[in-house]
Amino acid sequence: MILVVSCCRHRFSEEEFVKPITSIMEKLGISYEIRRYYEELRFNGYSGVIICGTALMDSDYLNYVDNFRILTGYDGKVLGICAGYRILAKLYGGMLENIRKIGVYPVRTVRENPLVHSDSFQAYFLHIYALRKLNRYMELIALQDDEACIFKVVGREFYGVSFHPEVLNEEIIVNFLQL
Amino acid sequence: MRVCVLYSGGKDSNLALYKAYQEFEVVCLVTLIPRSEESFLFHYPNVNLVKLQAEALNIPLVMEDTPDDEAGSIEALRYVLKKAREKYGVEGVVTGAIRSTYQASRFQRVCWDLKLWCFNPLWLKDEISLLREVLELGFEVIFTRVAGYPLRKSLLGRRLDHDIIGFFERIRRFVNPSGEGGEYETLVLDMPLFRRRIKILDYDVVGEDYDATLIVRRAELIEK
Repeated sequence: MILVVSCCRHRFSEEEFVKPITSIMEKLGISYEIRRYYEELRFNGYSGVIICGTALMDSDYLNYVDNFRILTGYDGKVLGICAGYRILAKLYGGMLENIRKIGVYPVRTVRENPLVHSDSFQAYFLHIYALRKLNRYMELIALQDDEACIFKVVGREFYGVSFHPEVLNEEIIVNFLQL
Repeated sequence: MRVCVLYSGGKDSNLALYKAYQEFEVVCLVTLIPRSEESFLFHYPNVNLVKLQAEALNIPLVMEDTPDDEAGSIEALRYVLKKAREKYGVEGVVTGAIRSTYQASRFQRVCWDLKLWCFNPLWLKDEISLLREVLELGFEVIFTRVAGYPLRKSLLGRRLDHDIIGFFERIRRFVNPSGEGGEYETLVLDMPLFRRRIKILDYDVVGEDYDATLIVRRAELIEK
């Protein structure tokens, strides 16, 4: 069972940021539960966690980062997409910078990893903050220009992805689910 | 939240409107009128009929002409959304984008620049399922343009039904079933939010077999 965390302040945004992720799981026959960022979150008992993105204007979830603190003690796998990337970055002390990136951009993979098997690919970005520099808790997986667009938390199966893989890179989500 | 809907009068913008109506206060429709069918961002045939549709919906309409080039289209979108924000207090924009990252990223950029929320309720949905949803909701949709093999001129004026959806399902490897890439265009004559329905009184079909347009010359609203 996968826990899907919605970071959307408006349920209407879930059509755009949560449903495409759960549709992939439905196609694969993987069961899931959806929780919202403002609820009390429990992660134990789930085989993995996906923290979904939200609208550009939406930053309410940042008021609830404390709800995610217990994630650092979680043994399973985590995929943080866009808003989820920001939450993982904050949990591990990353310095997010103001980087507005909206549209399709090329990505270069710099480290062998289980999510992406090609050296370069195109991805759809929709964010206003991202990481340029990583600290000792994070390792770089892929770059878009000078942005760390995929990072992994050292010693964990926790991945932060700043773009939206559900749009052009469904295999990243499938590979994560099959970890 | 007070939202506007980017409205072309076709099935996707009407479905997006229908969904937005369940969640938010739809305070106006926003329509951009391209100079020709070469427009990068906006639908062309019969876009003038949106006045009748807005009347049927009893929702105010904000219209603006737009050049066909990309920069001009984006500038026109920015201008018309500013106008909608000033006149109707719009806080968010709803679009019918399904899979086009080209359209979606341009809408998102303009919305962000104007500090407006952007909602895309059809985003990444299966196109055939959306067509079925449109029928199940009771939309009356006709085809007004075909642009490419194997979509024949005879499709023009036909109502969307399960047979046509089956046809799109069979050819989906070759043609985007939603027509989002301009493969075809539609016009909604009736849907649940319309207080009256549109009746076409006179029309012409122009063009060749796989590249043709139905142009509505006269239409009126009648009781449902």
